[in-house]
Amino acid sequence: MFWRKRAETQRTAAAVFDLKADPWARLSSVGLEIDGRTILQDLTLELREARIGIVGLNGSGKSSFIRLLNGLRQPTSGHLEIFGVDAALDPAALPRHVGFVFQNPDHQAIFPIVEEDVAFGLTQLGRPRDEALAAARTFLVDHGAGHLAARPIADLSEGQKQLVAILAVLIMQPAVILLDEPFSALDGLAGRRLQEWLAALPQRLVLISHDRAHLQGFERILWIEDGRLRGDGDPATVLAAYDREIERRATLAGPGGWSEGHL
Amino acid sequence: MICLYVEGRSWLHRLAAGWKLIVLLLVSILIMQLRSVPQLSLALAATLALYPVLGEGWIRRLQVLRPLWPILVIILLVHGLPGDWSLGLLVVLRLCTMVLLAHLVTLTTRLDAMLAAIEPLFRPLAWIGISPRLPALAMVLVIRFVPVLAGIREALDEAWRARDPSERGLGRRRTRWYGKWRKMRALLPPLLIQALRLSDQVAEALTARGGAAGFRPEP
Repeated sequence: MFWRKRAETQRTAAAVFDLKADPWARLSSVGLEIDGRTILQDLTLELREARIGIVGLNGSGKSSFIRLLNGLRQPTSGHLEIFGVDAALDPAALPRHVGFVFQNPDHQAIFPIVEEDVAFGLTQLGRPRDEALAAARTFLVDHGAGHLAARPIADLSEGQKQLVAILAVLIMQPAVILLDEPFSALDGLAGRRLQEWLAALPQRLVLISHDRAHLQGFERILWIEDGRLRGDGDPATVLAAYDREIERRATLAGPGGWSEGHL
Repeated sequence: MICLYVEGRSWLHRLAAGWKLIVLLLVSILIMQLRSVPQLSLALAATLALYPVLGEGWIRRLQVLRPLWPILVIILLVHGLPGDWSLGLLVVLRLCTMVLLAHLVTLTTRLDAMLAAIEPLFRPLAWIGISPRLPALAMVLVIRFVPVLAGIREALDEAWRARDPSERGLGRRRTRWYGKWRKMRALLPPLLIQALRLSDQVAEALTARGGAAGFRPEP
């Protein structure tokens, strides 16, 4: 039962994450199967750069890949190490150091009011509620979002929602933040602002995006296709190869031809 | 209406969540003891008199009773048809008063305050190794996501109306009730699926921020 499981991890695993580990993530032939379907396979790589972008077509396994990095999913084969600790050892403790920003901010908010949701992360870390709420308010003010504190998240614009979603993760001071297409619902201006704001963060970022403009200044791009690592390297090379592949497949299918699985 | 809580600075908003819940409990017990129609009418009137603290648009908040009317009618008939209309009226008044009072507490209490207020009730669970946060958070999340589910239902309803020819006076003529029944039958499975998907999303969001019990202290 769930509580028993939790108690057991508490006994067996006192995972001590080494936040200075370099590389912070180490994957060796990692694979992921869900309900008998292969989602990811044969991933062997090390992550150490401060800005890593992930590209790939829909359904290629990008989202599942970053879910491995914060313990939302566990690899079904291979070995995955995060901050020097086997990711399977204590997956519940991982999100403390590896924050996750969901593609749809509506799917991330646990509490309906901005400051409640931002404070929630602090109460999760054991801070008392009043103290957490006060800290959340200060944090929101410090990040130029003080005017949003008492508002329901549902009433905010998409850009504001995304900002709140990231702040709710950021306040927990993770060492790494994973972002699953944070720009997909934003208009051009909100996207630009978010991009500049993200660029200034001291945290390491792993960002999934379809738009290369958002990957500017990134040190490394991973290209995932059909659950495998198809490209890995500096942005110019990988993105050019990715573009060529898209072009090739687009012309292959012919006008109006939808290739398998990409409606 | 994705969020039940109504912003405000009234005395009812400022009253501590714990007190509101205790008073709600005591008043509900009291209401169960009232056994005459005039007494209960008075209780209902007093409850209604509290609603204006919500400020502008408080009347709209009374709509919470609307989905209840079929049940209320059934209760009235079950008691009334055998001859005891006053008993039926008593039960209906009692239900309305209690629902409205509880709703008022929900509307004026933030969920984080509610969570902090009910968590101590579950503290004994810690003795057997269960975090008291689990049941408290579960209760709060129910309040949180009922309106979200209502929103999903509305969206499905809209999708149905957009494509149902009888909504525009086309297609086969059907009675209103048959149309409603057909719609309910068609929308129930997608509603259930979306509800399950929503619960998956919430579970994932919760896990991504340390799970229902929160992070344990750093070693």
